Parts: sequence; structure tokens; C-alpha cells
Amino acid sequence: MTWQEFQLGTTVSKVTKKIALWKTDKGILEILENTLALPINVKDQLVGYVLCGEGRLLLDTIVETGEGAIGESVDRELNKSFLMLGTQEALQENLNSAKKEDFAKYGFSDQQEFKADAEDLLAQFSARAQRKKFHCDETFSKGPGFIFAFPNGEDSLDILIAKGAKLIFKTSDTVFVSNDDKVVLKGPQGVIVSNNGKSVVIRNRCLHIHR
Amino acid sequence: MKPNKVIIELSDELKEEMKRLKEEIANLRDQIEDTTERKRRRERGIYIDVGDRINDYVTDVMEGVAEGIHGELEKSIFIGPHGAKMRVFTHKEPSSKEVEKEINFAKVSKVMSALGHEHRLRILHELMRRGRYMNELQEKLTEITSSTLSSHLNVLEEVGLVVQEKVRGRYLITIPGRSAYKMAKRVTQFLERRNQK
Repeated sequence: MTWQEFQLGTTVSKVTKKIALWKTDKGILEILENTLALPINVKDQLVGYVLCGEGRLLLDTIVETGEGAIGESVDRELNKSFLMLGTQEALQENLNSAKKEDFAKYGFSDQQEFKADAEDLLAQFSARAQRKKFHCDETFSKGPGFIFAFPNGEDSLDILIAKGAKLIFKTSDTVFVSNDDKVVLKGPQGVIVSNNGKSVVIRNRCLHIHR
Repeated sequence: MKPNKVIIELSDELKEEMKRLKEEIANLRDQIEDTTERKRRRERGIYIDVGDRINDYVTDVMEGVAEGIHGELEKSIFIGPHGAKMRVFTHKEPSSKEVEKEINFAKVSKVMSALGHEHRLRILHELMRRGRYMNELQEKLTEITSSTLSSHLNVLEEVGLVVQEKVRGRYLITIPGRSAYKMAKRVTQFLERRNQK
């Protein structure tokens, strides 16, 4: 399976109720009613959606170290198209066909304009995935994992990869990797590696070790 | 002048000259010995010239030490809280520019005001050990009502001394929060000791 095989579906639907697409103790991604949803398929098999509507992403990208907490939570209103790879039963079960007025709500004149926007997003994601050599696995869509890609207004994408307790969040200036109590945060505040209370912090040209 | 008298006078002069030359030779010998000893020490790596240039030497040494400390501080490794027991504090005279530059009084006042409440200091104290949920704080600080506790946490969060995890809701003390708490504690302890004296 290659990234080029990812194709957008033909029918645009809308979400009929508020849905938590992803939820763990570190983050939540919710979309509200009337969010537009266009399926992404590989060989006619559903692998994800391009979604556009109101929603919210909350993510605790904070690391607790011996010298204090570093980082801050991400609290982002979603109001533009974003991509989700991975299947979500609640989403599939709560879709209805979208009407013309549903597109207008998000600034699209019609279905085609939304589809064009979705095509651009998928092309941008595929190009990035190929450039970064993301491994594309047949089993991905069947597992509990998700990949979300959010345009960040800087001609690039913020990427959230989540599978169980494992989490990677990458923006233009921050990388947050977490697996239970093991956390790595690289951002403007420095580089922090933390493992169950022990931490190494590289900040202000100093190395701080907390044991 | 009689010839004998001339001879005697010349003889005295020669004696004086001989004496002066002997002293000079002795001085030169000392200098040679001194130079040889210095050379020998230098070769053994223990040469220290503490002659007239002692001030220059001390200045050189101090500059070397200062450079060393600066170099070390740039690549400092702090190990704590149970690691290194020794701490290094550097005190630098503020430059005239730093003295002239005023602090942002409004901002400082806001932070100090957030710090200047017994309840808020107690909240920071509880958070020093680890992050806590609202109900955990409530259990620890029973004399503070939940609405007051929430209001205090908002004040601390607003100035950046505390941060709340948006998903889990846990409150954590930040690096500035920890520093501010320690500073308040140290200043108070210092004043208490001074008052006792």
C-alpha cells in the first residue's frame, strides 16, 4: 500500500451529533454536530475522513520535572478542514447526507469547493508522508491508531499520531512524544526527557538532571 | 705630590675598586644562581615568579580562574534534588546599563501580589512535591473553601506560577512558580535570622 493509493470518496456527509474522535488521559479531539465528512479510501476500503466543522483539540503537552512543569496544554478550536486516518465507529454511525446550506456554513459555495479543499489537504499530507518516509501499513486502518493532520497556516501540517497510550504531536516548533510516563518534549523551552519522575532537561545552555 | 703618596692614594683607590668589583661579582653570582634556580624550577614545572610583578601575576591568575568559571558555568551540570550537594552562586556587579534599566514594576507587582497571600503560598507548597487535582488540594487545604481555592488557583495560573493540564485538570507548579516560592522562603528565613541577631 502506498500513499498514492489514498483516494477521496464521492459523497460528502455531515455529522449528526457531537463526537469524540479520539480521547485518552492526555488528549481529546471532539467535533460538533454538522461537521462535514468526506471519506478517504484505499482500494474501496474506508481508511479515514477529511473533516471540516467546529471542534476542539485539547492536548496536555506538559512535562513535570524536578524544577517545575515545562510546556503548556494545547487548546485549539477547529474550524478548518483536517484529515483523520483511522476508523471511528461512532463517526460512521452518525453521518447524514450534507445539503448545500451545510457547506455555506463553513465558507464553501458547494460540495465541489469542499472536495477541492479536501483534495489539496490529502495531496499535502501524502507529499509530506512520502517526503518524511512515513511507513504506510495495510493493517493501519484496522488497528486502534489514528493520524490527524491539521493545516497550521504556515503551508505545513501539524501532525498528531495516537495509538493507545502512545502519542506523537508535531508542530512547526514543538515535538511531543509520550508513552505512559515516558515523555520527550522538544520546543522553545528546550528539550525535556522524562521517565516516571526522573528527567533530563536541556534548557538555557544547561543540562539539568533530576533523579 | 710625592711619589709615595701617589702610590698610597692609587693603592687605596684600587682597594676600593677591588671591593666594588668583588661586590658586583657577588651580586652577579647571586643573580646567576637565582636565574639557574628559576630555570631549574621552570623545567620542573613549579616556577612561580613572585618578584616585582606579583600584582600582574595575581591579576593573571584571577583572570584565568574567572575565565575557567565562566567556561564551566556555560556548560554547567546541575544534579538535583538528591544529586549534587554543592551549589555555585556567582555574583556579578550590575553594569551601569543594568542599573539604569528599570524592571517592569507593574508586572513584578502583579507576580508579587499573586505570591503575597498565605493561602496561595500554601497552595504552591502543596504543589512543590507533585501535581495535584483540585480535590486533592481541597483535602490538603481544608480551611479554604472550594470557590476560594479555585479563585486562588486562577490568580496563580494567570501570572504563570501554576499551570493546569486542560485534559486531566491537574495543577502543576511551573519553573517560575518553584523559583518564586523558594525566593519567598529564603527572603523570609534571611529576615528572621537577621531579626534574631
